[in-house]
Amino acid sequence: MEILAQLVVSGIAVGMIYAVIAFGYQLTFATSRTLNFGQGEALMLGALVGLSLTQWLGFVFMLPLVILFGLFQGAVVEWLGVRQSMRAKSEFGWIMATIALGIIFRNLAENIWGRDELKFPSPLPEEPISFFGVNMLPMEVAVVVGALAMMLAVELFNRRSIYGKAVVAASADRDAAGLMGINTSLVITFSYALSSATAAVAGVLVGPLKPVGATMGAVLGLKAFAVAIIGGLSSGFGVIVGGLILGIVEKLTGFYIDSGYQDVPGLLLLLLVLAFKPAGLFGKTAIKKV
Amino acid sequence: MSRNASWTALAVATLLGSTALASGAFAADPIKIGVSGPFTGGSASMGVSMRDGVKLAVDEINKAGGLLGRQLVTVERDDEAKNEVGVQVSKEHVVATVGFANTGVALASTRFYEEAEIPVFDNVATGTAVTKQFLPPDYENNYVFRNAANDSIQAGMIVDQAVDKQHFSKFAILADSTNYGQLGRQDLEAALAKKNLKPVTEEKFNIGDVDMTAQLLKAKAAGADSILTYGIGPELAQIANGMSKLGWKVPIVGSWTLSMSTFIDNAGANGEGAVMPETFIQVGTTPKRKAFIEAYQKAYNIDRISSPVSAAQGYDSVYLLAAAITQAGTTDGPKVREALEDLKTKVDGVVTTYDHPFTTTDHEAISKNIPVFGIVKGGRVAFWSKDDEAAATQVRVKGAVN
Repeated sequence: MEILAQLVVSGIAVGMIYAVIAFGYQLTFATSRTLNFGQGEALMLGALVGLSLTQWLGFVFMLPLVILFGLFQGAVVEWLGVRQSMRAKSEFGWIMATIALGIIFRNLAENIWGRDELKFPSPLPEEPISFFGVNMLPMEVAVVVGALAMMLAVELFNRRSIYGKAVVAASADRDAAGLMGINTSLVITFSYALSSATAAVAGVLVGPLKPVGATMGAVLGLKAFAVAIIGGLSSGFGVIVGGLILGIVEKLTGFYIDSGYQDVPGLLLLLLVLAFKPAGLFGKTAIKKV
Repeated sequence: MSRNASWTALAVATLLGSTALASGAFAADPIKIGVSGPFTGGSASMGVSMRDGVKLAVDEINKAGGLLGRQLVTVERDDEAKNEVGVQVSKEHVVATVGFANTGVALASTRFYEEAEIPVFDNVATGTAVTKQFLPPDYENNYVFRNAANDSIQAGMIVDQAVDKQHFSKFAILADSTNYGQLGRQDLEAALAKKNLKPVTEEKFNIGDVDMTAQLLKAKAAGADSILTYGIGPELAQIANGMSKLGWKVPIVGSWTLSMSTFIDNAGANGEGAVMPETFIQVGTTPKRKAFIEAYQKAYNIDRISSPVSAAQGYDSVYLLAAAITQAGTTDGPKVREALEDLKTKVDGVVTTYDHPFTTTDHEAISKNIPVFGIVKGGRVAFWSKDDEAAATQVRVKGAVN
């Protein structure tokens, strides 16, 4: 029983990391029907920038700067990669462009921060806390709380503020929103900025739990993509559930079946969802009118 | 007729003249040595240290006048630790190649050197199979040489150390899912089986995994009293950190990658006490080693070598190759291979003194008596015991029997 609880707790911590990154995929998909395939790299850059800044400023003061950096980085991705291909009405140009930018960011990071994986100093004690025989690191708790808080903040912003309403309007119907006087291309830029900012924050949250380096984003970005598909690209609740499912199933498979097959059930689930519920477990199926 | 003859004479003269010119230019041409290694990514600390060791040796040789009156140049290529990139690197036109930090890359790339009859030196990657792919009689000649302690040597040493010296009996094997980890796991199992032992559990993990809870809980539930590892730095650090999280700490004994700076730095206090076999520890126990460490520190302006084993083996591989080229008197691949298989001069290296390191059937320069055991202590690798330290002050040469 203790073992099961321990596995579930560890799975939740990992799953929430996936969920935050997957949430970033959703943000841009909602407004522009495009995804940033360099989302893992946005996380990596956030972690590395955070690592450099935290030595000067400490964790708390570093955080706003990392958010600013993420906003800027996301805007750059949209401006260089996505806008051009949308203007050219290219159906797939943004896929190649965001992947290419991701590779460029990775190489940039290798040149700036070196090739070795680095240690991110933990802002919280690294001694585990024990709770009914289940051990967790304070940082794991911080990941779960931080991830939920961030998603909540973005949702509140979208629902309550006038700018957020522009985002919602643009995602509901881009053309109609444009006719109502909303600057939709600015909204799309903003959604990219916000998406990279959430990934950057996820980076500094996961940093203390895992060695950080230029290649850290690849695996996380891919798993988060699976989560976004499983949960549905249009449901904020979906990515949380999707992330938790993937995280927990990984740990349970690793223990009860075989650690060599850890990643298999998650990917099987991905295939099943694609086959039977292509919009995701919680996604809304919309009929595309042509 | 006479007219024809004079034409022929002229043509021959021109031809001779041009070949003389060509061979003149040829003599001045530098000797190209390929360097293939992961200079980016999770195993970069091995690749970069190896490359820097290679460059140090090449510079020394060039300052001393080069080989056969020609200078050496390195053709450095990042194989990114990816098998397919390594294969592309192998298409470079070089006299010989040294390198490979990853068993998978070495296995995939060496075939092309074999086919082109170009000697290739594996100076870091340890997979046992690397030098055994093209053994005679199936192949006419084997062009793959190694001066690193291969996994069957390391696995044997790890098991001896864990069983006889540290007196453990219940082993959990944790290995990554790459060629390196899985071939190493097989070697560990074989070494345990020789002692009629079996691991209590075997677990796998992937490169880049965030969390090792499931693997560690399984080891704990199986009652393991020690963990034997086969992986690379960052993930090994995750194992040590994961144990601390679960409040379950048993000693780690594993392959030499536990000496990687990425393990030591990322595991911090949790990595202290990890034990691994090493061909070279950054301590100047002999004048040659002392000189090497000082030259390396000076050339690259660092204190701690990121992967001392890779640096030393990279350095030695160039000197072994240089001795063979000198002996062969040519850069012709088959001749250099022949010279390597019957090296007449002793090569005074950092790891050991190489006295007839290779034969036609044995392409491994390092034997079981050469490595010693290191332990992570205070963020560096120190000697595990006084015996290991004493052993390291002597130059242990390759035994007659492996």
